[in-house]
Amino acid sequence: MSKILIGRYVAGDSIVYRMDPRGKLLATILFILFVFLANNPISYLIVTIFSLAAVAATKLKPKIFWDGVKPLIWLILFTSFLQLFFTVGGTVYWRWTIFALSSYGFTNAIFIFIRFTVIILISTVMTVTTKPLEIADAIEWLLKPLKLIRIPVDKIALVMSIALRFVPTLFDETFKIMNAQRSRGADFNNGGLVTRAKAITPLLVPLFINSLETAIDLSTAMESRGYRGDKGRTKFRVLKWSNVDFINLFYFVLLLGLLLVFRTH
Amino acid sequence: MTIKEMLKVELRDLVLLGIIVAMKIILSRFTVGTTIVHVSLGFIGSVMLGYLFGPVWGSIGGGISDLVSSALFGNQGGFFLGFTLSAMIGPFIYGLVFYQKPVKVWRIILATLLVTFVVNIGLNTLWVHLLYGMDFRVVLIQRIPKEAITPWLEMIISYFVLNAISRVRIKR
Repeated sequence: MSKILIGRYVAGDSIVYRMDPRGKLLATILFILFVFLANNPISYLIVTIFSLAAVAATKLKPKIFWDGVKPLIWLILFTSFLQLFFTVGGTVYWRWTIFALSSYGFTNAIFIFIRFTVIILISTVMTVTTKPLEIADAIEWLLKPLKLIRIPVDKIALVMSIALRFVPTLFDETFKIMNAQRSRGADFNNGGLVTRAKAITPLLVPLFINSLETAIDLSTAMESRGYRGDKGRTKFRVLKWSNVDFINLFYFVLLLGLLLVFRTH
Repeated sequence: MTIKEMLKVELRDLVLLGIIVAMKIILSRFTVGTTIVHVSLGFIGSVMLGYLFGPVWGSIGGGISDLVSSALFGNQGGFFLGFTLSAMIGPFIYGLVFYQKPVKVWRIILATLLVTFVVNIGLNTLWVHLLYGMDFRVVLIQRIPKEAITPWLEMIISYFVLNAISRVRIKR
């Protein structure tokens, strides 16, 4: 199998796992939009408490969430740090040309730090507690309204499930091709920039030819199994709403209400 | 061509689109370059989507690739539809410039510069600004050094990739 882990799903059993993926996906998107509403210390506190509550509700080890933040931690710190110097207002402590240290700068940097962390935490909750296939089904459901403006949602759903299914297969294929080329002297990690750019072709062309062949084979197989376009077909994997999803909904209505009350208008 | 005709595709091409999207997702996991400069190979996927499927299906494929890779790997920095839009506009631009046209150096330079300015510097800066409430200048300061170097590398790689792929297409 490939070295790079596919899917971030971590098995577990808590209320978050029993929620419908559609509800979770909507909640994630809405939460990120709600964060836009936060603009004063109290509203940021509310957002932080709600996201930490969501993290706690998953009953997973903190390390899993730390792993989500870790790759971005330097970016977050650097950004907050830069923001510190670019916001002017309140009491100014120090000033040099366009840079300044001020009390507004400090609060702003802290706000951005919170915003970053909270958005990453909530997205991690989503991807860690939901299987990729379920997320794809949820995305398909969310795209359905686009049918009204004649966007071929069923075709998009088909492409999505094929892509999802073939990522692991092509991953293995890629490593195989790389090793095969390496065994005959190909070098993917050395030389100047042009040499490295050239080195990509012996990887890409076989991969592309493989893809073409797979596409021909798969479409022939689908047609021989009676696939005649996406209309008039039934669904085998069906998502169901349950009571847990009302808790999810209530939680977000509460968050929206609190934010609207406590934000500075 | 009307939009309706553009949206018409054969099953074989639809399946190929799915597989190229998978390829784009995989390529975006790889980086190439030295320790100082490294470029994610995801843009090759966008180039292929635009070149093979044109602006309409290319941008649909780009959008799907963003959604599927967030489903599989999670989105670094959160689910935000703005980034999905960015992922759609890249292949759209490549499609406008490359689709059913001979590979030329000026096309590669034009498309890469357009994508860099519109998507990487323009839109993505805007999304980060909106999403995290950061000062516009702060986001630009972080982005400019990288975006000053990567387009040139992307042009070189695009040149080799497009030439190679057009050879495969001619063979068929």
